Amino acid sequence: MKSDDPDITWVEEPKLGLTGRMYLPLLVQGLTTTARHLISPKVTVSFPEERPQIGNPLIYRGVHRLNKDAEGRVKCVACFLCATACPAHCIDIIAAESPWPDREKYPESFVIDELRCIFCGMCEEACPVDAVELTSLMDLTGRSREEMIFDKEKLLSVYDMTKDAEPMKSIALGGTV
Amino acid sequence: MSFSERVTYVLSHPGWPFALVALLGAAGMFLLLPRGARGGRRVGGMLAVAAFVLLGAKLPHLTGLREGVFAMLATVTVVSAVGSVTFRSPVYCAIWFALTLAGTAGLFMFQGAQFLGVATIVVYAGAILVTMLFVLMLAQPQGLSTYDRVSWEPLLGAGVGGLLVGLLTHLLRSSLATADAGFAAAKPMTENAVLVNEHVAGLGAQLFSKHLIAVEAGGSLLLVAVVAAVAITSQGVPKRQGGRYE
Amino acid sequence: MPEYVIVALVKIALLIGGLMTAAAYFVLLERWMAAWIQDRKGPNRVGIPLTKIKLFGLGQPLADGVKFILKEEYTPGHVDKFLYSLAPISILAAALASFAVVPVGDRLPAIFGYGPFDLTAAPGIDVGMIYVFALSSIAVYGVILGGWASNNKYSFLGGLRSSAQLIAYELPMGLGILGIVLASGSLRLETIINAQASSGLWNVFWQPIGFVVFVIAAFAEAARLPFDLPEAEQELIGGYHTEYSGLRLLMYLVAEFLHMIMAAFLIVILFLGGWHFWGLTGDATGEITWGQAILRHIILMSKITGVILFFMLVRWSWPRFRFDQLMALAWKVMLPLGMVNLVVIAVLVEFQPQLIERAGGRGMASLLMIGASWLIGIICWAAVAWASPLGTDNRPVYGKIGAME
Repeated sequence: MKSDDPDITWVEEPKLGLTGRMYLPLLVQGLTTTARHLISPKVTVSFPEERPQIGNPLIYRGVHRLNKDAEGRVKCVACFLCATACPAHCIDIIAAESPWPDREKYPESFVIDELRCIFCGMCEEACPVDAVELTSLMDLTGRSREEMIFDKEKLLSVYDMTKDAEPMKSIALGGTV
Repeated sequence: MSFSERVTYVLSHPGWPFALVALLGAAGMFLLLPRGARGGRRVGGMLAVAAFVLLGAKLPHLTGLREGVFAMLATVTVVSAVGSVTFRSPVYCAIWFALTLAGTAGLFMFQGAQFLGVATIVVYAGAILVTMLFVLMLAQPQGLSTYDRVSWEPLLGAGVGGLLVGLLTHLLRSSLATADAGFAAAKPMTENAVLVNEHVAGLGAQLFSKHLIAVEAGGSLLLVAVVAAVAITSQGVPKRQGGRYE
Repeated sequence: MPEYVIVALVKIALLIGGLMTAAAYFVLLERWMAAWIQDRKGPNRVGIPLTKIKLFGLGQPLADGVKFILKEEYTPGHVDKFLYSLAPISILAAALASFAVVPVGDRLPAIFGYGPFDLTAAPGIDVGMIYVFALSSIAVYGVILGGWASNNKYSFLGGLRSSAQLIAYELPMGLGILGIVLASGSLRLETIINAQASSGLWNVFWQPIGFVVFVIAAFAEAARLPFDLPEAEQELIGGYHTEYSGLRLLMYLVAEFLHMIMAAFLIVILFLGGWHFWGLTGDATGEITWGQAILRHIILMSKITGVILFFMLVRWSWPRFRFDQLMALAWKVMLPLGMVNLVVIAVLVEFQPQLIERAGGRGMASLLMIGASWLIGIICWAAVAWASPLGTDNRPVYGKIGAME
């Protein structure tokens, strides 16, 4: 593209007055900005001592949980929609014949590899029975890779841990269940 | 005079070690210089070291702390000067030359000429040599161009250098004998005499009274040079129409 | 061993220890300042090792040092090994050696009949100021050799930029101090402080142009923002020390901080009165008590810390210059301003006795001198602004505005 191309719009630099060219207003502006920030309140959260403020825990995407229904059974019907939706392929489900009459299948094993998970929330969106949900737990750590692969019991225990603070989204957000 | 008589005369002459130093030094330097031909550099290095040691052995006053400092500074200066002409990479030559300048500055300081010493470093090592390094690095990032790897006229250069050193030493040698007595008689300079004197003020007074015309002439010359440099470099720069802030 | 040798060795040990500690803690301070200005808290975790005591992060320099020492000192295969090792050594050695002539206070009274001691490692060097200049020009070698020996284009560009910058700004720096040297009649830093202390008139008050020129040149010589082109991170990765790691990198970084400390020392000593403060530090000449000696040291150090805090504040306040602007600033602004400063100060110094006689008293004459120099300073600054040598038109010549209308 040549510089006399009609598509180019030439923009005139803003003209500086004498004070502007003396640099003083600009220097003072820069210094006052930094000096103001020097004494302004800090935004750092000193993490282990201070917990970060999570705006709305119901829509935060942290560690997964497997919800239980009113009778304490796992809600999941092993439909594989979450595993299919997962872009990181971190959900592994083994389905089995359901012992309960109200559904055909239930997950014999439900494993989420938290190290592979990218916490996008697709599984939560895909789930037709609102069984898998993301909680607001954000400080997920472990000492080994094995520890970070969450099986069904662990995911259910996450539900037990968080059910009081975070009710099931389906209800809280006006869902179907 | 028969031949053997001549030989004994020459050998009995007190100046012959210095002639030998000059000869050895010239031969060593010739072998050390990058000549294009390979080999001989190790022999040349040994010859140069031998010449230097011989010269050092024949010089008086090389005892004690004060003289030790002098000897160290002089060795640094001479060795790095040899290095600055014998290395093949121009960048290394420049670094060796910087070391030579540092040694020279040290020698100036040693004699109590603080201003000269420091000015040597500021002007030569700090400005001129850095500019040269700048150019060298820009011109040959690898430091390996053929025309810089071979020295011009190594034989002539080494010969003239040896001759110069030999003649100067010969002239100095005759005055060294008298200086010897004077050196012993002179009151040694204490560190206070070196430090307390207002060197720069004295130097300035000298420059602006006794040597005023020389200083002014030098200044004018430099000014003319600066104007000329500006005139040369500003040729051929296309002028932009209008102003910067039209 | 003679007594003066022992005194000198003790001074050197104290100076090097103090400088290294100061450099380490200024790194911490720099990180704190950076954090505070960016609304963060900065390093505040490391305290006393092996305990839980945090001490606001004051142990951070120790952790930094241990990290640097334990890092692998990697020498890339494509470098010029000798110069690659020599460069950081030369820059650190020059930076440390330049402090030999800098007074860190006034002097100490006699101890057990010895003394009084000057608080300078090498007292009485008559060319103190030029000595500092000489060693700061040696520092260029570390930068340019490091850049070249690394055999890396970014390093090389950093080295070239910095050598051009340092050479260009040495000139205005020299012109900036010429006024001081004219006024105090000596290149010795102690004498310069004493001249300001005895008159009570700091040089900054009546040499404003010199001060501005010198401070800008000092920023450029220390390669601090807004003049940090040798290592502009956004353009050159790390500049001349891109290829360095471990202890060699540490040498470069320490040398950089030493340059900044040196610049602060020079600004304070030359322009801000050194250890002098009105009504506190007492008479410049004559006997000195322990209290006065310590007070003077503390005042000097707090002034230097203040200047360094300003350095760090400026780093986040103003954007970096472009390289052509940097050179234009040196040659088209700083150099003429330095010349003007020299002429003004020469005239003022020459006519000072008459002025004192006419104006009736030193105080009035000082006021007149301050007024005249500031007036000329403002006029010069306005003239620079009017000429605007830094404003450049980068548009291609044939694509001018208005051609399409």
